[in-house]
Amino acid sequence: MPVNPAVGIAAFAAVSVATAVIGFYGLRISRTTGDFYVASRTVPPWWNASAIGGEYLSAASFLGVAGLILLSGTDALWFPVGYTAGYLMLLLFVAAPLRRSGAYTIPDFTESRLDSRAARRVTSLAVVIVGWLYIVPQLHGAALTIRTTTGLPSWVGSTAVVVVVCLTVVAGGMRSITFVQAFQYWLKLTALAVPLVFIVLVLAENNSPAVAAASANPTGLAPAGPYQNISLLVALLFGTLGLPHVLVRFYTNPDGQSARRTTLIVLGLLSVFYLFPTAYGLAGRMFAPGLAQAGQADALVLLLPGRLIGGPGGELLSALVVAGAFAAFLSTTSGLVVSLAGVISQDVLGGSVRGFRLAALISAAVPLGLAFMTDSLALAGSVGLVFAFTASTICPVLLLGIWWRGLTDAGAIAGMVTGGLLCGGAMVAGTALGAGTPVWLAQPAAWTVPAAFAVMVLASRATKSRVPRTTTRVMTRLHTPERPLATGIDVTRR
Amino acid sequence: MTRVRVTAPRSAARPAVESREAAEESAVGQVFVRSLIRSQLRLALVVAGGFLLVLGAFPLLAAIPGLAESRIAGIPLDWLLLGTGIYPVTGISAWLYIRSAARNEARYRDLAEDR
Repeated sequence: MPVNPAVGIAAFAAVSVATAVIGFYGLRISRTTGDFYVASRTVPPWWNASAIGGEYLSAASFLGVAGLILLSGTDALWFPVGYTAGYLMLLLFVAAPLRRSGAYTIPDFTESRLDSRAARRVTSLAVVIVGWLYIVPQLHGAALTIRTTTGLPSWVGSTAVVVVVCLTVVAGGMRSITFVQAFQYWLKLTALAVPLVFIVLVLAENNSPAVAAASANPTGLAPAGPYQNISLLVALLFGTLGLPHVLVRFYTNPDGQSARRTTLIVLGLLSVFYLFPTAYGLAGRMFAPGLAQAGQADALVLLLPGRLIGGPGGELLSALVVAGAFAAFLSTTSGLVVSLAGVISQDVLGGSVRGFRLAALISAAVPLGLAFMTDSLALAGSVGLVFAFTASTICPVLLLGIWWRGLTDAGAIAGMVTGGLLCGGAMVAGTALGAGTPVWLAQPAAWTVPAAFAVMVLASRATKSRVPRTTTRVMTRLHTPERPLATGIDVTRR
Repeated sequence: MTRVRVTAPRSAARPAVESREAAEESAVGQVFVRSLIRSQLRLALVVAGGFLLVLGAFPLLAAIPGLAESRIAGIPLDWLLLGTGIYPVTGISAWLYIRSAARNEARYRDLAEDR
């Protein structure tokens, strides 16, 4: 079954070396603490948009979406649509104001908006939990890829990703990360597009008949009902705008309007990218439905070129796909590690460069431990739950903080804690119950997100006297356009 | 390695900015700011609502009888619709929003500078 083991190892080595080379090249121009966090906000929009795309397209997008489409057909098409539409929501409600806030991280934003250290700490905790939960599926993806393509034990894959990420992040910080991520978007796109072109050519040339109809269900699992689809969309639409590694990228735009333009480019890049996992899923359903029965749905993208093309050509194309997969694990993991390290080092270690490096090691080591202890679920599904958690905690505080003057620190904390406990509880219960989980627990976003918003609003109303005196000034800065010379003013009082 | 505070680079235009902020915090300035925020929020809600309506219409469209049996280049039409049709809608919504948001800001800037 495995492709040629040497192919998998060579592909991983090539991506790691390329990542390291670009990372170290970036090191030479990364000098100050500001460079380390957000590349001093001087990244051109196309680079920045490619980097955002590179960072965002994770194991779930590269492997999981195609796998889920193979398993559940058109229902799974809501995943790529939701992942993309989440960026539209981010553009509409968050992009420009957040850039204008001048804060470097989400906890910085809550602290300056609510004038409260306590609200900052709770936000930091939520960010760290989201980041760790999000890294775990990346490491599961790496484990799966190494296992499927080389036959080596699973832990080799996750450990290798963590080691490469730590080396690059510790060495170069965000500046080199931006170059690395931008490169990895285009690598991921190529790695899916080129094999697909060859697959289509080979199928057309041999006039191969489809093994099964696209609508045929290969596993006999029950299809998703409307509740599941809606709840999933709530999670993806509102979860994206709270993802810590996505938000930190918006600080690299020079002003609010360019943050919007960058988001528009990102939407285009994502739309193009997601056509490919969709095509793999469809091809898998029609030409290799056996992979779903064999429990290898998540490996569909990795195995399809070898299956349908075969020979040395198939091996070469498999190597390209494996390289793209590792680019996905590396880029998302390093993006998350950078933003987590930013938060941990500022809140716990005092904000120095050395503290940032130590924090980066901590941010990567904890999820590695979690990945060893847990089993891989369907990749796209477990990432979907992380989006639900983000939508129930960070999303309400951002949306209400940006658009509602009445938000208080007490309200924000109450809402985040409620959303976190409800959604976290549903996730734990779902894990404990396994396959018998009722749908409302398996897809909790449809009720945990409204609950978090409601508690946040009601608790803020009940504590009206705590509305910070700085509200008017901060709201003005969030929403008024910058003047040409007045970019980059900090609102955080330190 | 010394401990350093992480702040954004100070701009040369800082004093001008402070006087501008003072003007914005005045009663009249706040009227303009509040109306800018209201119009931006209204715009975002309208675009989001419109997008969600179109999104909700897609599964209904895909359920049209016979669509799943028709094919273009071997791809069933319902797959084509759900798998590719929503992305252009996302892009167009984003483009419309960016244009209108910039226009709202230009109007605010004109008002605020005319005083």
